[in-house]
Amino acid sequence: MLTFLLPAILISVFSLAFAGAGNNDDDVQKIPLLVCDQDNSKITQQTINDIDSVKMIEVIPCSFDSAIDLIKRGKRSSVLILKKGFSDSVKELKHLPWELQYDAAHLQEMGVLQSLLSRTLYTTIGKIMSKNAIIKNIDAQLPSMDSTSRSMIIAKASAGSESDNSGDDNGMQSIMKLNTVSVISAKTGNLGLVQTVAGTAVMMLLFSLTGMGGGLLDEKEQGTLKRLLYSPVHPAQILLGKMAASILVASVQLTFMFAFSAAVFHLHIADKILPLGILIFATAFACSGFGILLATFAKSRQQLQGMSTLIILSMSVIGGSMVPTFIMPQWMQDISVVSINYWSIQGFYDILWRELPIAGTFLTKVGVLLAIGVTFTLIAFRLFRKNALALD
Amino acid sequence: MIEVKNIQKSYDNIHAVKGISFTIKAGECYGLLGPNGAGKSTTINMLSTLFPPDSGEILINGLDVKESREEVKKILGVVPQEIALYSNFTAWENMLFWGGLHDIKTNDLHKKAEELLRLVGLSDRKDEKVKGYSGGMKRRINLACALLHSPKILLLDEPTVGVDPQSRNMIFELIEQLNKEGMTVIYTTHYMEEAERLCTRIGIIDSGVIVAQGTLDELKQQSEIKDVIVMECNQSPDETAIAAKLNLEVKVTDHTIYIQTANSKKDLTRCVIGCSEAGYEIQHIDIQKANLENVFLKMTGKQLRD
Repeated sequence: MLTFLLPAILISVFSLAFAGAGNNDDDVQKIPLLVCDQDNSKITQQTINDIDSVKMIEVIPCSFDSAIDLIKRGKRSSVLILKKGFSDSVKELKHLPWELQYDAAHLQEMGVLQSLLSRTLYTTIGKIMSKNAIIKNIDAQLPSMDSTSRSMIIAKASAGSESDNSGDDNGMQSIMKLNTVSVISAKTGNLGLVQTVAGTAVMMLLFSLTGMGGGLLDEKEQGTLKRLLYSPVHPAQILLGKMAASILVASVQLTFMFAFSAAVFHLHIADKILPLGILIFATAFACSGFGILLATFAKSRQQLQGMSTLIILSMSVIGGSMVPTFIMPQWMQDISVVSINYWSIQGFYDILWRELPIAGTFLTKVGVLLAIGVTFTLIAFRLFRKNALALD
Repeated sequence: MIEVKNIQKSYDNIHAVKGISFTIKAGECYGLLGPNGAGKSTTINMLSTLFPPDSGEILINGLDVKESREEVKKILGVVPQEIALYSNFTAWENMLFWGGLHDIKTNDLHKKAEELLRLVGLSDRKDEKVKGYSGGMKRRINLACALLHSPKILLLDEPTVGVDPQSRNMIFELIEQLNKEGMTVIYTTHYMEEAERLCTRIGIIDSGVIVAQGTLDELKQQSEIKDVIVMECNQSPDETAIAAKLNLEVKVTDHTIYIQTANSKKDLTRCVIGCSEAGYEIQHIDIQKANLENVFLKMTGKQLRD
């Protein structure tokens, strides 16, 4: 199974994430773009419609506060704000008050988006502004021109600018320049570091805790588990004891990994000790439950090793340990939630990248991890009684 | 003290125990004798509360093993068939660990551990790791760990498998001593000499059923197995004449007389005299005692050990 199935799974996941494999040639992955219209004018409405008609962009109208909240929580990557006075600026040929605020984790995507937006607006708003500029120039330079000649010149000049779709006018370009602002401050290298540390830490933890859970199988093979069951110790106490040891080791292991990263790679954790501690415990609990559950499923160490390698690597790939989930196709991001890695890594993102407060979305992730731990532990209890007492 | 009433146990489509009943009085040493796969370990596991019987009842000192598991565990000591010790611990550490599970005060536990180590002859090696012990030494510690909480009843599941004669003898002596002091013992084995030496009563178990039980003499009577006096003579004896003279069941093959008797000790002298008076010179005498192996073979049609 490991020889064939595991490589197939890994190739599939990486291909889907990086190469867009499985998509038809006609399928275009749309970039969701929140749009906040603060001007509420015909021109801004027209602008929004023009952007929405672009194949690669999916416009989602949103208020400013909601948009920023969504970006900070990692739900969306960007918002285009058409500020008050946008239509006036178009008419008066002033610098356009529009801004693209984004999550610096999605730099590549922003590059594409910026290019698309600029191109779209040059061909729409740009034409309007060019026409207005021509009218203004004529009125300024030739105030006494008769209206027929004036209309003819304007029509010819407008037709000329219409045929020129690039809108390649240095003056227009500077007026129409799109401001870009990172909502989450892009501390150079920090996101990559957070991804590396969190992703690796959780994956390694799963492997080591599964190994610890295998201690239960060793006890069964040695006969000491039987002796434990002969003693007044309740089976639940045996399992809880193993869990407690796992949680302790896991917490120490995770703490070490983050401390190491802080010391060597300057990962900024000094003012985030409390949320980090909470998340470390929740992750340790969930992973320990997983390790114990697998150990109660397996009948031998060898079986446990095979099972755990397959499951952990699959979970790690899907959950974002090796590849950030935000570069995966949407459907893959949707299924990544089945992985422990996903909840833990997103939690570490919330603390170390998005710097969100403890209350709210961060606690949700902690809650999910704790729920996973509890669920796995309860199932393990049921299986433990059945399998531990199974006659050989 | 122990009442087992028609217990049954199945697993994985194997009907391991098919309705076993026996009673053991306080202070008795009861043996469960049978070949591998007979259901001995399964029976011990049910008695030790490891898992309940599918049907039937087990009462230990009036306590139902299903309903009063924790109380039953306090009075039971179990010596498992496996050497259930942590090989990276020393003997002393193993004793303290296993004893510590029984809620024994530290001082008392230490005293008991020292006493038991002395009894099993391993006091001077208590600080060595168990993985360095011989099989026999491990078996002795295995037994000692089951005695730390001074149980009233001791269950031993083939405790001498793979053990050297010295260790084996030490284990036997310890069991005999414990039984003499009033401990009730249940001993499973497939070695008839162990059952004959240690047990006051024996249950012969085969294919999940007790085919016979009682003292050794009772089992011999039940199976009608007798001792055989074998005498080699200088000539081929007259079978009928000898049988009539001795009034015993006699068979002659070549120059050898086989005489079946319920009590070879009592009948040996008159058999020798009888044959001599009949004019036969006896060149060799042997006594084949009725043993559990014969009893088992008679009752089940199988050898006790393959």
